[in-house]
Amino acid sequence: MNNRRDFLKTSALTAGAFALPSSLSALTAGSAAGTPPIRFVFIRKSNGIRPNELALPTFSDAEKALDAKRQPMEVDLDKHELPEWLRPLNKHKANLSILQGLSCKMSENGHWSYSSVMGAYKSGRNSLSGIKRATIDFELAKLSPSPFEHVELSLTGNYSTFRTGIVSGYSAPAPHQRNYCYADPQTAYNELFKSVINPSAVDSDNAMLAFLQGEENFKAGKLLGYEKLKLSNHISSIEAIRARNKKLEKMSDAIAKHLPKIDPVHADGGLNASTPEKQKAMTDILVAALVTGLTNVVTYTIDELSTPIKGLQGNEGDHISIHELGHSGGYSGISADTIREKIRVGHMEQVATIVERLKATPEGSGKGSMFDSTVVMYFPENGEGHHSHGTEAPFITLAGDYCKLDMSGRYIRLPYHGTEGHKTIGNWYTTLLNAYGNPIKHYGDFDLEMSRKKLAQVGAIKQLMA
Amino acid sequence: MIYDSLFIKRPGLTVGSLFFLTILMVSTCHADKEGHPEAFKVTPGMENLLDANCYACHDEWEQEGKIRLDQLETLSLSARLDLLNKMQEKIRFKEMPPRKEKEQPTDAERTALLKWLSGELKKHNASKLEDKLRMPDYGNYVDHDKLFSGKNKHLKPFTPDRRWLISEFIFDAKFNRLLNSKPILKIDGTRQHVLGKRSSFTNPFLLPGNTGVRYYANETLNGGHLLTMLSNAKESARRMTTGLARRDRNYIPALAAIMDAENRHYATLASRKSFLNSYADQVLRDIYADKNDVLLPKFVRVKIEEKKTVDANGKPLKKAEFHAAAPGKEEIRIIYRDLKKHQKDGDTDEQLIEKCEHDWFSFGVNERRIKTRVVFMNGYMAGMKREMNTGHYKNVRLAPYKKLNDTEMQAITSAVLKHRKKGDTYGAIISKCMAEWEQGFIQERIKAGPPKAEIVGALVEQLFNKILERSPTSEEAEKHVTLTQSYIKSLGREKAIEKLIQTLILNTEFVYRSEFGQGQADAHGRRMMSPRDASYALAYALTDSSPDSELAKAVAEGRLATRADYEREVRRMLAKRAQYYVIDESVNNQNDIANFTNMPIREFRFFREFFGYPKMLAIFKDNKRFGANYDRTKQRLVTEADRLVEHIVENDKDVFKELLATDKFYIYHSGDNEGMKVSSDRIRKIYDYFKDKGWEDFTLEDLIKHKDFIGEIKMRGIDVSRLKSSGAYNPLRAFQNQMKSFTLRLGKGQTAAAPYNSFPAHGMANADTRYGGRLQSPEVAKFYGIDMYNWNYQSVQPAKIDHRMGILTHPAWLIAHAQNTETDPIHRGKWIREKLLAGTIPDVPITVEAVVPEDPHKTLRQRLNAKTKAKYCWTCHQKMNPLGLPFEMYDDFGRFRTAERLEYPENLIKKSESKGGLEQDLRDIYKTLPVKSAGVLQGTGDKKLDGEVKDALDLISRLAKSDRVRQSIIRYAFRYFMGRNEFLTDSKTLMDADQAYLKSGGSFDAVIVSLLTSDSFIYRKVSNTSNN
Repeated sequence: MNNRRDFLKTSALTAGAFALPSSLSALTAGSAAGTPPIRFVFIRKSNGIRPNELALPTFSDAEKALDAKRQPMEVDLDKHELPEWLRPLNKHKANLSILQGLSCKMSENGHWSYSSVMGAYKSGRNSLSGIKRATIDFELAKLSPSPFEHVELSLTGNYSTFRTGIVSGYSAPAPHQRNYCYADPQTAYNELFKSVINPSAVDSDNAMLAFLQGEENFKAGKLLGYEKLKLSNHISSIEAIRARNKKLEKMSDAIAKHLPKIDPVHADGGLNASTPEKQKAMTDILVAALVTGLTNVVTYTIDELSTPIKGLQGNEGDHISIHELGHSGGYSGISADTIREKIRVGHMEQVATIVERLKATPEGSGKGSMFDSTVVMYFPENGEGHHSHGTEAPFITLAGDYCKLDMSGRYIRLPYHGTEGHKTIGNWYTTLLNAYGNPIKHYGDFDLEMSRKKLAQVGAIKQLMA
Repeated sequence: MIYDSLFIKRPGLTVGSLFFLTILMVSTCHADKEGHPEAFKVTPGMENLLDANCYACHDEWEQEGKIRLDQLETLSLSARLDLLNKMQEKIRFKEMPPRKEKEQPTDAERTALLKWLSGELKKHNASKLEDKLRMPDYGNYVDHDKLFSGKNKHLKPFTPDRRWLISEFIFDAKFNRLLNSKPILKIDGTRQHVLGKRSSFTNPFLLPGNTGVRYYANETLNGGHLLTMLSNAKESARRMTTGLARRDRNYIPALAAIMDAENRHYATLASRKSFLNSYADQVLRDIYADKNDVLLPKFVRVKIEEKKTVDANGKPLKKAEFHAAAPGKEEIRIIYRDLKKHQKDGDTDEQLIEKCEHDWFSFGVNERRIKTRVVFMNGYMAGMKREMNTGHYKNVRLAPYKKLNDTEMQAITSAVLKHRKKGDTYGAIISKCMAEWEQGFIQERIKAGPPKAEIVGALVEQLFNKILERSPTSEEAEKHVTLTQSYIKSLGREKAIEKLIQTLILNTEFVYRSEFGQGQADAHGRRMMSPRDASYALAYALTDSSPDSELAKAVAEGRLATRADYEREVRRMLAKRAQYYVIDESVNNQNDIANFTNMPIREFRFFREFFGYPKMLAIFKDNKRFGANYDRTKQRLVTEADRLVEHIVENDKDVFKELLATDKFYIYHSGDNEGMKVSSDRIRKIYDYFKDKGWEDFTLEDLIKHKDFIGEIKMRGIDVSRLKSSGAYNPLRAFQNQMKSFTLRLGKGQTAAAPYNSFPAHGMANADTRYGGRLQSPEVAKFYGIDMYNWNYQSVQPAKIDHRMGILTHPAWLIAHAQNTETDPIHRGKWIREKLLAGTIPDVPITVEAVVPEDPHKTLRQRLNAKTKAKYCWTCHQKMNPLGLPFEMYDDFGRFRTAERLEYPENLIKKSESKGGLEQDLRDIYKTLPVKSAGVLQGTGDKKLDGEVKDALDLISRLAKSDRVRQSIIRYAFRYFMGRNEFLTDSKTLMDADQAYLKSGGSFDAVIVSLLTSDSFIYRKVSNTSNN
């Protein structure tokens, strides 16, 4: 945001987000009658996406030259073939867009970006104080309330094993706050669908909340004025959570109907599960979380550099380090580049599954489906390579018919970093926010090279606004 | 409590009581007899006042700021309330009518207007003024002269009874205490237990990011806190029960007692499982003898595909490194364990692998895991053998088989015999046995029934003490016992205890500090804090932790009941140096930045927050414009500012003056003068030794001749034990790189060399941090404009630096009060006006587009003047710009300058390289204009000090002499330690603190003692309206 007036406008709009009572009211809110909620899925991958990996194989020579020189260009996807690894999305070309030329230099570059790539700030490695603002997924979640508001999933590890349970996430609900996330499919399943699979746990939660409410009411009864307010706000919050739990109870039939089946291999953190098995199970959970209406926004770290890759087709016996792939180390006689591509193909298969499942779920009147109001984004957490500089931050998006952006079915390359008309992830996130109802003038920090060159960089990407 | 809100001078009435009276008067007349809301009407008296004072600029002809006041009656309710709130605020803070242009209303007229506005707002419970007056930004609206004139010294200070939400720091300390987290750091070679490390929980109590005082008792618990605390409570309960309590029976003895049977059962199960996992083969052979092999499934080897070693072009494929291909730490441990088991047989690698594989197959290890192990062994056997007896895996081996006791062996044997079927793997047999034992134990526990009420009572008592740090009342105990029993019934013991822990963590008492009066009220209705509350108030005033053992003892022994008791404890805590604190985890890095103190952390933190220099960490700046790696250096700059503050506060003499006007700074220094001198001298010795020996042309043989000297003095990257003429080891390059760098640092006659590293490498560094890590980021010198290769390094620091005077000229402060790409005279001026001159700056009007226009041919000062000298802007900007502009002698990185670079593309003279050595300035060259750093100081109330200043140094030297500045800092200290704004009733407290400072020769400890033993701190009064 640019000036104080803009700040006031936007903070008025999002004031609740900081105080977070709005989050609580959001928990029990639904979308306007008859209007399907908007949904966003952010899928973060590690190790970068090298821009040439997205170049269309059927580019004309002139297009190829423009793309290679990072000159702005735009082509329709229906007239082209997709790169090999994107082929699982062939059926969805009309919904697909490949957005090239964004930069992310104002976020952390190098190996990892942590939360910064979704907040457009420097996070000082992964420091809490570096988290400057709520990340874009949380900002969008405010525009589309749901009982869980936002769900974060991740498949991460320590090179050796996968993380399991509930762990620190990469999204940020507010400045200096790190989100929690579900790190293995079984935990995500147990926690998200608890109201159906473990009602006694929910009952005990409710009993605890009722007890707490009684206790605090008793204390508040003895107070007056401002001191009373200090407790009555809290009592209202407890009431709101109880109301959320009641709503979840009411939703239990719908949840039960869409409950995913989790393979026993994922029990106790899934020690023996392969990476593709984990990905498949996470996809099932992600889709179910959306379809049941538990949330409208999911952020999913499908891998990061320290996620072990196990059971990859053709490398079944290898314990692959994504980091090592970034340094060109191959496994079982298969080159690093080939394995990197195989990993991406696996990702695309999951993305295609998400799209297909949502398309197969009717919503609204007529032939509409849940996908119509969904935007799925797949992007590298750290820009254009294993050791990124942030000059390029490609995004692959798939969006349904109600998408408020004008980009589907196209390969779009924006002007290169540091040149007239260049756009950053800040501009991209501003575009998403503006399109879906937050009039913020600019989301995120500015690019300093653009500033130094006195080039305009505020606001949404106009050519993408429908 | 009294706000200096109404400017009434009638004898016999305090202003505060009038304020309340006013509200009461108007609050009774907001409905007619039938209960209908009265129509809004501007009374004739008010109409006259508005006409005389407001309509000239806000009527149908003129609408300054787009505000019109002559048609209030026609506005919608919400629009009118909004406008009335604005009017109330502007009139209350004397921002309207504009002072220089308009004749001011009398105090009586202003009061009447305020009374009317307040009454109208009160009818709808819509006044926002009271909330604002509680906020830190509004502290200075209490008249400074009235506070320090002595005329209000007779008023009786107090703080209202209150709950105070814990800070982000207390949150971490609480969870660290609860979970026995005691991080250790090696400081100056000694292992120290440190506080201040962040807990691993999401912290919902973050303080705002402003400079000044950040932690006030104004915040209320909200839904965001609760949502986060639900997750935190769940996670900590899990760790307490399944982690800590299982490891340590004394952690919560009643928990251990209730879980005794479970824990014994868990231990038995774990012991049997571990035993069988290690020795299943031996145990089953003992039971089945020769039949064992027949009962096992037939061994089938995993299928391993043949792998390529070259690519399609016949080029060798790059293979993943050993560590990157290893299948995880636990897996590799198992592989080593089994390799060692079979190695003695003298088999080939292939035979060895097959034997291991056979073991794993018999055990029933998942096929995928066997395959991964075998693939790794196939590919990396040479590496494995190399590392087998070194490092982490040296001691990995299976201990010799030893049976468990007879009872256990009997239980195992009988279960095995019961469950083993032909074709079962060892793993399958173990699983079946475990399931049986587990079920048996559960039945045993069910039979034993629920825990008795006494032990549940003990659990409640102990958890209350652990979590809420007090015993429950009998009523609380009873309620919580009943609750726990109901949890046990529905969840079982362990989950029930977890739920009870969650319940207590979610009790508001866990997150609200309690500060309530107790006992007999004095003649003014004030009561002293209860001793327990006082112990927490004192502990949290100086630290983030609960009361230490001595403070707790004082409470228990009834020795925290008088002012003298408070003073004794405050002085004791202020003198304490045995506890180390990490100051800021986002700066602290054990490898290269030691950021700690052993002062009471909140004493130190006051100045850190007051000056606000850590805010620079959030200012994103361009490496190119810095001309070196800014990102890598900013943490060092902050920690060196911390060190300077600590040095001055620790000396405790003329503290404010020193902080404002010292000419001594730390630059690239660990804080250990002796250590830095040794490091610098070492470089001198090496340079002097080699400088005339023709080192530039040394061969390896030449170097070997100086082996003894190098061995004694130690040079980075040279291992003398490997220096041999016949060997392949050749560190000549490392040697010559160092000598080149040392020559640049000393060759021009510099007095001493800064001991930074000449090249990146692991191992020893030229200087160490006080954690024993490598002292890095010498580029910090560039913030001071130091030429790295013309630097007379000073080992003993803080040391005098030219063109600098105090914290306000420290680059960290200057960057914290700058923009991303330029300086910020407005905010620098605002900071001085508010923090040092106790002045006020109104909020920026909503209609103002606060952007300084770009102009490639003008300095920022010129552009700023063009924008803010307009009459409408200057009313406020005159309070800031003249105080901020003197700092234009520094750029936005805090570098001293005489010319301003006009960084616009059209002014670019020369582009510089993107990368280069430390000695290079990598900034692009732009056209420049001379810097003008003159300004004006107004507001000290001292004619000798107020007036034109030639630059920042002139300004600061005057500020440092000002009484008002000293008193202003004391006002902020008051707010910091009291957690609220001051009122006129606090006049005596502030004046006493000021006198304590003066009489002690400028001791901040004396200020703290004075504040924490003042009536404002000790006495509490019942809070019974929303207005106080």
